[in-house]
Amino acid sequence: MTATLELPSYKEQSPEVAERFRHLKEREVTLSARGLGKTFSSAQGPVKALSDVNFDVYRRELMCVIGASGCGKSTLIRILAGLEPLTEGEVLIDGKPVAGPGPDRGMVFQSYTLFPWLTVKKNVMFGLKMTGSSEMTAESEAMQWIELVGLSGFEDSYPHQLSGGMKQRVAIARALANRPRILLMDEPFGALDAQTRAQMQSYLLQIWRNVDVTILFITHDLDEAVHLSDRILVLDRNPGRVNEIIEVPVGQPRTTRQFLQPEFLATKGRVSELIHPPRETSDEHLPIFKMTRVGDEVV
Amino acid sequence: MPWFTVGKPLDKMRASLLMGASFVLPLLLWSIAAYGPFWSNSKEITIASDTDDKDGFAGAIAPGDVFEADRFSAYQDAVRNDNKALEAAQSTPEPGQSRANMKVLRSIFPVAKEEGWLTQDQEKDYDALFDVWGRIAENEKGAASAISDENLPIVQQNWARLSKASTSYDEAAFVDDVPLLRLVPEAIDKKGRPVFLPAPHEVLSTAIRDFSGNSKLGDLMLGERYIDSIRTIVSGFVIACLIGVPIALLCGTFSFFSRLIEPFVDFFRYMPAPAFGTLLVALFGIQSAPKVALVVIGTLPQMILMVANTTRMIDGALLDAAQTLGAKRPQLVSKVVIPGILPMLYNDLRILLGWAWTWLVIAELIGTKVGLTELIDTHGRRFHFDHVYPWILLIGLTGFVTDQVLSNLRSILFPWVPEAGHSRVRHVLERVGNWLRPGQHKSSQAAAILAKPKEETST
Ligand SMILES: Nc1ncnc2c1ncn2[C@@H]1O[C@H](COP(=O)(O)OP(=O)(O)O)[C@@H](O)[C@H]1O
Ligand SMILES: [Mg+2]
Repeated sequence: MTATLELPSYKEQSPEVAERFRHLKEREVTLSARGLGKTFSSAQGPVKALSDVNFDVYRRELMCVIGASGCGKSTLIRILAGLEPLTEGEVLIDGKPVAGPGPDRGMVFQSYTLFPWLTVKKNVMFGLKMTGSSEMTAESEAMQWIELVGLSGFEDSYPHQLSGGMKQRVAIARALANRPRILLMDEPFGALDAQTRAQMQSYLLQIWRNVDVTILFITHDLDEAVHLSDRILVLDRNPGRVNEIIEVPVGQPRTTRQFLQPEFLATKGRVSELIHPPRETSDEHLPIFKMTRVGDEVV
Repeated sequence: MPWFTVGKPLDKMRASLLMGASFVLPLLLWSIAAYGPFWSNSKEITIASDTDDKDGFAGAIAPGDVFEADRFSAYQDAVRNDNKALEAAQSTPEPGQSRANMKVLRSIFPVAKEEGWLTQDQEKDYDALFDVWGRIAENEKGAASAISDENLPIVQQNWARLSKASTSYDEAAFVDDVPLLRLVPEAIDKKGRPVFLPAPHEVLSTAIRDFSGNSKLGDLMLGERYIDSIRTIVSGFVIACLIGVPIALLCGTFSFFSRLIEPFVDFFRYMPAPAFGTLLVALFGIQSAPKVALVVIGTLPQMILMVANTTRMIDGALLDAAQTLGAKRPQLVSKVVIPGILPMLYNDLRILLGWAWTWLVIAELIGTKVGLTELIDTHGRRFHFDHVYPWILLIGLTGFVTDQVLSNLRSILFPWVPEAGHSRVRHVLERVGNWLRPGQHKSSQAAAILAKPKEETST
C-alpha cells in the first residue's frame, strides 16, 4: 500500500472563499429551476429523463452542471433555453416564468452552430438584428464583441475558414452580443483537443470577469468543472436529478496553477465519487486470457 | 500509388487522364465499329462510262452502282483501254459515231447535278450538257475541280472537238465521224456499313455542312430550331421552379404541408408525363404552350420531392441557435432555412434541369412537331443517320456544357461552401486575377493566416 495524500474536506472553505459565497448568495437569482421534470415518449414507452430538478443560479455566477453521459444534462439545458418543452415544473428568469426560446437566454452548443453562409461579423450581428437593432449599431457592437473574444481581423472570414476553438469563440461572442441574462453552454469545448480546450477555459474565465454575465456551463470533465465553477451541480442519472450542489472552495481568480491545490483535488475527488460510484466488480477480476503465437513463444 | 484503392480518390494527373479517357473510349469504340474490317470495302460510282469490254462488264453501268474495289479498278482500266483504241481510230475518221458520242456527252451529267449546275430532269438536255463540257474544259469559276485530274485532259480534248464542230449543241453539226473519248469512271469510297452506323468523319462532315447552313437536305433552320428548343425548356423549367420551389420549401419546413402535399405528388410522379400529351394539346392547343406544360409536368413532381428533402436536411442545431438568438418563425425560414439550403437547392435544380431535357424531347413530339426533335424524328425515319447524330449530340453537348458551367459557378455563388477552393473556374479566375495585378501574388496577412487555421497562443 502506498501512502495516500491526506486531503482536507471539500467543505472546508477559507475565510475569503466563505465570504465570497456569502456575497454571491445575497445577489438576486437570475435563473431558477422549480421542480423540473421531463418525460420523453419513445417507441419503447415513456422515458423519464429528468425528475424534480431544483436549483438557483445567482447573478454573475458561473455554475457547472456535471454528470455521467446520458444523465440528462443536454435535456436540462435545452429545457432552460426553451428549445425543449418541459413536462413538469417551471423555469424562472429574474423571477418571471419563461416559455419557449428567447434572446434573454443565449446558448453555445457543443456542435458548431455558426451560420456557414454568414461571415464572422454577420454571425455576431445576427441576434442583434433579430432583436431589432439597426444595421449600423449591430455592426459596431459586433465589432466590439469580436474584439473581446480576440478575433479582430477575422470579421470577414467564413466559419469554414476558422479552427474549432475560433468557431466557439465566435459562438460565444454571438450569444453575448444579445446581452442575455444568462449564457447557457452545453459542453462547448467538448469537441476540442486538450490544449485548445485549456486555452478556451482561460478565455472564458477572462470574458466572464470582464462582462457582467451569468453562466451555466455543462461538462462531463472533472477538471473543467472545478476549474471554472463557483458551484458545481452534480446530476444523477436514471432519471436525472440533483445529487448535490458543491461550493468549490478554490479561491478566485482561477489560474491553472490551482490544479494541484488540496482544495481543488478534494473537490475533484468528491465530484468523481458522486458521478463514478465505486463498482462492485473491479478490473482485477477479469478472466486471464493468454495469447501467444504457436511456435513463437517467448520464454 | 495504385490505380485501384478502395474508397480513396486518385491523384490529379490520373483523374484528368481518366476524364479524357471517358470520352475517348466511346469514340474509339465507334471508330472501331465503323472503320474495323467488318464491312466490305467498295466503291460507289459517280461517273460511269460504257466500255467495249463486254465480256468483263456486261450490262449497263450507272452512277450509284456499288463495285468491289478491284472490280472498279478493272472497270477503269477497261475504259482507259477503250480510250487508247478510240484515239487510234481518230486518225481515220468514219461516220456513225453519233450515238456513242451522245452517250459520252451525257456521262458528265452526274457531275453537273452534284455541282448544282443542272437539275434532275436535265439528264437529256443536250444543250445544257454541251455547255457543261465547255464550262469544265475552260475551268469557268474553278469548274475543272469537279472531275479528276485524269479526266480533265479528256474533257478538254473532247471539247476541242465539239467546239470546233459548232459553238453550241446542234444535232446537225454534232460530231459524227470522230469518236469522243470516254470519261474514266470515278467513284467514292463506300463502306458496306449499315445506315445507322455512319463513320465519325462522315458525321463530322455532315455536321459541319448542316451547322454552317449548306446541308444537302435543304434549309434545316438549325439555329432557329435550337433556340426554339432552348426557349421551351427554359420557360418550362422556370415555371416549374416558380411553382415547385415555394411548395417544396413549405413541405420541407412544415410537416403540415409535407403530409398534405407530398403523398399525392409521390403518386403523381409515377404517372408518366408523356401520357398527358394529348390532354395537354386539348387544353393548350398545338403550339408551344402544351410543350412547355409537359416540361413543367415532368419536372415539377421530382422538384417538389427533391427540394423538400433537401430543405429537411437543414441542420436542426442551426434552427435551435437562431431561436436562442431571438429569431421567430418567419425569420427562421427566411434567414436560416433558405440561405442554409441555397447551395444544395442550386445543386438540385442543376440536376433537375438535366432531366428537363428528356421531357423537352418528348414535348416537341406532341401537337405540332417542332424544334430539333422534329428534325431528328423526320430524318431518322428517312435513315439520314449521319445527319441525325450531330443534332442528338448537340442536345447532349448543350446539357453537358450548361451543367459544367453551373456546377463551376456554384463555388463563385456560394463562397462559404468549404469545397469552393477546388473549383476549376475559380482557380482559373484567380490565376488571371493574379496575372492582371502583378505584385499582389502574396495575399494579405489575414488571408495567409486563414489558409492555415491555427489557434494563436494566448497572452
Ligand atoms: N428526443 C428524445 N427521445 C427520447 N429519449 C431521449 C430524447 N432525448 C434524450 N433522450 C434520453 O434522455 C436521456 C438524457 O439525454 P441527454 O440529455 O442527451 O444526456 P446527456 O446530455 O447528459 O448526455 C438519455 O437517456 C436519452 O436517451
Ligand atoms: Mg449532452
